[in-house]
Amino acid sequence: MAFYHPNHELLMQFAAGQLNDALGIMVACHIENCAECRATARNYEQLGGEIMESLDNIELSPDFIARTMERLKDSDETEIEVKIPVVDKRLPKPLQRFLPNKLEQLPWYGFSKNIQQFDLSFSDSHYTAKFYKIKAGKELPEHTHKGNEYTLVMDGAFSDDAGSYHAGDFILADNTTRHTPRAHEDCDCICFAVMDAPLKLTGFWGRMLNPFIS
Amino acid sequence: MDPKQGPIVKESKLSQTASETSYQMDDLILRIAKTQDQQAFMELAELASPRLKAYAIRCGADIDDAEELVQECLLTVWRKAHQFNPKTARSTTWLYTIIRNKRIDIARKNKLDTVQSDDLWPEGETEDLEDDVERDLTGELVRTLLQSLPDEQRQIVFKVYFEGKSHSEIAAELDLPLGTIKSRLRLAMKKLDTLAKEQVTWLFIILIMNF
Repeated sequence: MAFYHPNHELLMQFAAGQLNDALGIMVACHIENCAECRATARNYEQLGGEIMESLDNIELSPDFIARTMERLKDSDETEIEVKIPVVDKRLPKPLQRFLPNKLEQLPWYGFSKNIQQFDLSFSDSHYTAKFYKIKAGKELPEHTHKGNEYTLVMDGAFSDDAGSYHAGDFILADNTTRHTPRAHEDCDCICFAVMDAPLKLTGFWGRMLNPFIS
Repeated sequence: MDPKQGPIVKESKLSQTASETSYQMDDLILRIAKTQDQQAFMELAELASPRLKAYAIRCGADIDDAEELVQECLLTVWRKAHQFNPKTARSTTWLYTIIRNKRIDIARKNKLDTVQSDDLWPEGETEDLEDDVERDLTGELVRTLLQSLPDEQRQIVFKVYFEGKSHSEIAAELDLPLGTIKSRLRLAMKKLDTLAKEQVTWLFIILIMNF
C-alpha cells in the first residue's frame, strides 16, 4: 500500500482528462494499486458529470438525430477488443504498451553503472518521462530541481532526508527540494520520473539562449 | 447562442429534474444493452446530446467538431451499453467519462503511439462495490456542492475541467495571483472532500436506522 499519493489537484485534472501524457500515465499507474486515490478520482469524475449536467443545453442541428441513426445503421456493431500484451507483470497496466521489454532487458544507458536511465516514448516538449535505476545501496549526488519532478517508485525502495519510499509511492519534488536519494541495500530501485521543462531562464537574454522555450 | 439565456429554474427544481433525467437515461442505456433497442438509442440521443454538445463546445470545439464528438460518443454508448452498471455509476457520470475519453482519442487520432484513453482508464477494472444508497447520496451531494460553491471557485473548477489550463495560466487569464487560484481551488476541493466524509456518516446513520 502506498504512503505517498498524488495531490487532489492532480487527481482532479486526471478525472477531467486534462493531464499531459506523461503525468496522466503516472497517475493511472498509481491509481491502479491505490484504492483511496481511485475513489477520489471517481468522485472527481462524478463532479465532471455534474458539471456537464449543469451546462445549458445547446441546440442540435435539425438533422443531427437522423444523421446519428444513419451512422448507427452503417456502423459495425461489434466492439473490437484490443488485448494489451503484458511485457512485465510487475508493472502497472498503463505502462505495458510503452515498454519493449522486461525491466532488466530495457536498453538502459547512463554515465555511471550506479545510475542508469531509460527514456519513455510519451515525453513531449514540456514533460520528460524516464525510468531511473539506482543500484542497491547507491545514492544520487545531492541535487535540487528546476521546476517539478514527479516520481513513482516501481520496484525496490529509496530514502532521502524526508522519508522512505516504496513501490507505488508517488512523490513530488519542487525547486525547494534538495535531496540525496539512496536506494535501499536489498535491491536496485527503479523509479518512473516525470520532469517539467528542465530549464527555464527568464528575461530577454535568457529566452534567447534557452532552447527549450519556443 | 448565449448559454445564459433560457428559463430561470429554481435550484431545488433543477436538481430534481437532473435526477429524473439521470434515471430516465439509466433505463434507456439498460434497454440498449439488453435488446439493442434502436428506439431507446434515439431517445437517449435526443435527451443527452444537447448537454454533450455543450460540453464539447466548452472544451473548445467548433459546432461541426462538437457534433462529430457527440456522435462518436453516442456510438460508443451503443457498443458499450453492456458495461454500464447503474449500481456503480450514474448515467451522467458514465456519459461524461465516455465523452471525455472520446475527446482525448479524437485529438490524437493519427498518433497511435501516443497515450490513448484506454491506457489511462484500462477497461475491465473491477469496480469497488457500492450500493444504490451510496450512489444516490454521492450524486446528490456532488450536485449540492457544485451549487453551493461561490462563483469565483466554480469558475476555476470549470476551467480545470474544460480548458485544461494550468493554475498559472488560469492566474494570468484572470489577472489574479497564483496563490489566490491555488487557495480557491483548494477550498473547492476541501468542500468536496468534507461532503464525501459526511456522506459516509449519513450512510452509517441510514444503516443504523434500517437494522
